[in-house]
Amino acid sequence: MASVAPAAGPARGLAWARQDPALTATVLVLWLLLGLFVVFPLAMLTARVFWDGGHFSVAGIGAILTDRHQVQAFWNSLLLATLVGLLGTLVGFVFAFTVARGGLPRWVVTAVDGAVLLPLISPPFTTAIAMVFSFGPRGLITYELLGLKGVTVYGMTSTLFSEALTYFPIAYLALRPILAAIDSNIEGMAMSLGASRMRVFRTVTLPLCIPGLANSFLLLFAASLADFATPLILAGNAFPVLPTQAFLQITGMFDLRGGAVLSLVLLVPAVAVFVLQRYWVSQRFYVTVTGKGAGQQPFESVAPWVRWALVGACLAVTIVIVYLYALLLYASLVMAFGANHAFTLGHYGVIFTEGFKAIRDTLVIAGFSMPLGGLYGVLLGYLVVRKAFPGRRTMEVVSMVNYALPGTIVGIAYLIAFNDPPVELAGTALVIVACYVFRYGPTGIRTTIALLQQIDRSLEEASQSLGAASGTTFRRVTLPLILPAFFAGLGVVFIRSMTAISATIFLVSISWTLITVKILENMTELSLGPAAAFSVLVIVIVFVVIGAISRGLRFFRAPGSEPVTSLLGG
Amino acid sequence: MEAVGVRVEGVSKRYSHKVKGEVYAARDVTLDVRPGEFVTMLGPSGCGKTTTLRMIAGFEAPDAGRVVIGGRDVTHDLANQRNIGFVFQNYALFPHLSIGENVAYGLRVRNVAGAEIERRVKEVLALVGLAGYEHQFSNQLSGGEQQRVALARAIVIRPQVLLFDEPLSNLDAKLRVAMRQEIRDLQRRLAITTVYVTHDQEEAMAVSDRIAVMNQGSIVQEGSADDLYYRPASAFVAQFIGRVNLLPARVEAVAGGGGEVTVLGHRLAVAALPGTARAGDTVRLVLRPEAIAVRPAQEAATLPQGTVAGRMFLGEKVEYLVRCGETALQVVSYDARPGDLLAEGAPVGVDFKGPDIPVLPQETP
Repeated sequence: MASVAPAAGPARGLAWARQDPALTATVLVLWLLLGLFVVFPLAMLTARVFWDGGHFSVAGIGAILTDRHQVQAFWNSLLLATLVGLLGTLVGFVFAFTVARGGLPRWVVTAVDGAVLLPLISPPFTTAIAMVFSFGPRGLITYELLGLKGVTVYGMTSTLFSEALTYFPIAYLALRPILAAIDSNIEGMAMSLGASRMRVFRTVTLPLCIPGLANSFLLLFAASLADFATPLILAGNAFPVLPTQAFLQITGMFDLRGGAVLSLVLLVPAVAVFVLQRYWVSQRFYVTVTGKGAGQQPFESVAPWVRWALVGACLAVTIVIVYLYALLLYASLVMAFGANHAFTLGHYGVIFTEGFKAIRDTLVIAGFSMPLGGLYGVLLGYLVVRKAFPGRRTMEVVSMVNYALPGTIVGIAYLIAFNDPPVELAGTALVIVACYVFRYGPTGIRTTIALLQQIDRSLEEASQSLGAASGTTFRRVTLPLILPAFFAGLGVVFIRSMTAISATIFLVSISWTLITVKILENMTELSLGPAAAFSVLVIVIVFVVIGAISRGLRFFRAPGSEPVTSLLGG
Repeated sequence: MEAVGVRVEGVSKRYSHKVKGEVYAARDVTLDVRPGEFVTMLGPSGCGKTTTLRMIAGFEAPDAGRVVIGGRDVTHDLANQRNIGFVFQNYALFPHLSIGENVAYGLRVRNVAGAEIERRVKEVLALVGLAGYEHQFSNQLSGGEQQRVALARAIVIRPQVLLFDEPLSNLDAKLRVAMRQEIRDLQRRLAITTVYVTHDQEEAMAVSDRIAVMNQGSIVQEGSADDLYYRPASAFVAQFIGRVNLLPARVEAVAGGGGEVTVLGHRLAVAALPGTARAGDTVRLVLRPEAIAVRPAQEAATLPQGTVAGRMFLGEKVEYLVRCGETALQVVSYDARPGDLLAEGAPVGVDFKGPDIPVLPQETP
């Protein structure tokens, strides 16, 4: 009976609504919110593009498609995303393979995980800033070490380098469980049939990883396509890309419609990649990742010299990461990086006085977004998996929209939708909180769905048979079991609320601003010290909160349940 | 608590299947369970027994028909409004709660006072032989112990009806036999109306007052274990309950309810024939392996002749496979003395222990 689904009984119609009023109310409220914060903004964005003076028009699209500069930006975006996808996947695979097959001591793996985590939880442009410190006109390497004058760090190469460094951890985290789940007996079998190690890798290991590689390429492609801050800092005028063009169109030329059109152009490859990833690649996995390793001790599948080469490569990348972050810390502690290297805490003084409002605003907004986003994720995930109500699948899809779209599109859509009546929210903290909840809450939805699918339905039925109504069952049985998903959701929403910029840069105002926006402003004004100090502060706050959440997770973890090792692993 | 009856009335449940389209998981099922009775729904997997049970519990809503518990129509009530105890195949213990809290769960939902909860949890854990397990967690317990906790959790709320969904199928064979006895004893002691689902005919026969055999979504026969065994209404029931030889036979004479038939070339008197049977019709005899006796051929020259094609000595019994021409017969012989064992290849005479051999019409499935 595994493949049968209950036939929808139209005769019984709204029976579910009468039987469970709490469910009905929750579903209605969620639909209302999704309508307001997901569907409505996108509809307004589309209307702004195709609706001109009361009638349908493609003139806006046409103007962009004939502008050579914008067409160039489109192709640049695709090129950059492709290269980041390839390079990031390669580096991620090398890391994943080394960890899974290199026979490294445990502490080395932990150290690698730590270093790799750094770019994942920092603001997305941290490496970009550090690149400027290292390779810019006054950079540590270019100017101080090599004495070069007038070099330019801006352009495609450094953007590529910075994005690959920022996003390869995504590939690493996606590929590692796959490599770990490959039954090492399969590789051993191939070897026993006479294949050399290299041949085993080429004919067994690699083919089994191909869906995973394709998946990670698409993830990285999407991340690069949506990345806004790195190109803004590093790409320069010679290498325009779509997200920055859309931003400049709006902030520089006050052309909201032009920005809307550009962001909609960005939508095409973004949706294509998302569809490809969700519905094509994800169904082609050979290896089922269960969270448990294959069990056996992996045999010596790597020749010693190859292992040393792999470890060396990983070490080199790790050192570059650590070097860039150390540079950031250093830049925050000297008078003027590149000119006066005397120690000072002055930049921190600046950010805690002039910049204090941004810090307070960011923490308030993150503080509200975190519990709301966590709750939203768990609730929606639970309803979608466990409850039967009309439009269940649609709700799941709609809830994923803001998460899947590049932030630039979401930001511009919110800007257009909430600037004027009937829903005038521009300039409020609410619009930023809503943006975060509906953009990053879906991580919690996915984790909840994944967890719930492992929890047998009979647990809830047992509770029901013992007399508990659906609310009680959720509170006393389901919720404790999906607490890990709730905490993971909290963590992700908080991290992103502290570090995101691509959507919310369109939503900040005099009354409510964000640290990330301040960092970007400082960078463009060349006040590098405060920018570095802000970045360090964000990283420290994120680390502290993640530590606290992990601790909370351990405290609340059910005595019988599986341990949850990493917040970002899921 | 006063025991109540359960009545399932013309209940149906449809599913849409990816390949087969609309299929009935249960089709017009009617079942009456008397107060305090232990009724088992028995059938192969996919026969609709679990679906029917889940509709009694309220986990699934029937597309047609009614469910009545204690005279009250509960068809549209949720499971938590029905006052039932349900024991799941996988036990469904809450992994985040201790054993004590698992058992206390239904009492807490009912807002029973703390001291009372403590007393009843202690009492019921003692009843299932797990006194002192309150602070353990389910992952520290063996399968049998988990099953007892599930049982304790279901009965502590003093449900009107106790429902079991294949509760023993995750246990090993020995434990299964011990546990089914415990379940039966407990049910007798509490005199609680019980509906039980299993695919294991021996288990069904061991625990039930009455068995409803199901096939393809419908109940095909109801009755006590001996009823079903000695008087199966169809070939399906005959084959599902115990082992059987279905032998084609020709009706020679009809007299009263019974008559005479020819089987394996020999005439045999039978006490009951199908009502429609006329002389010359073909019918089938339901011959249980233990209802056939084999003797060395020289002692039984007047009987149908055959050869021992296989022999399995199992201690308390011997199983033979006997060939009579085209027909292969399963035969079980009890308390055979050492000298009586027949060798493979030995010629034998086959004796049917008539005359109360059940006879089925030819066309029953």
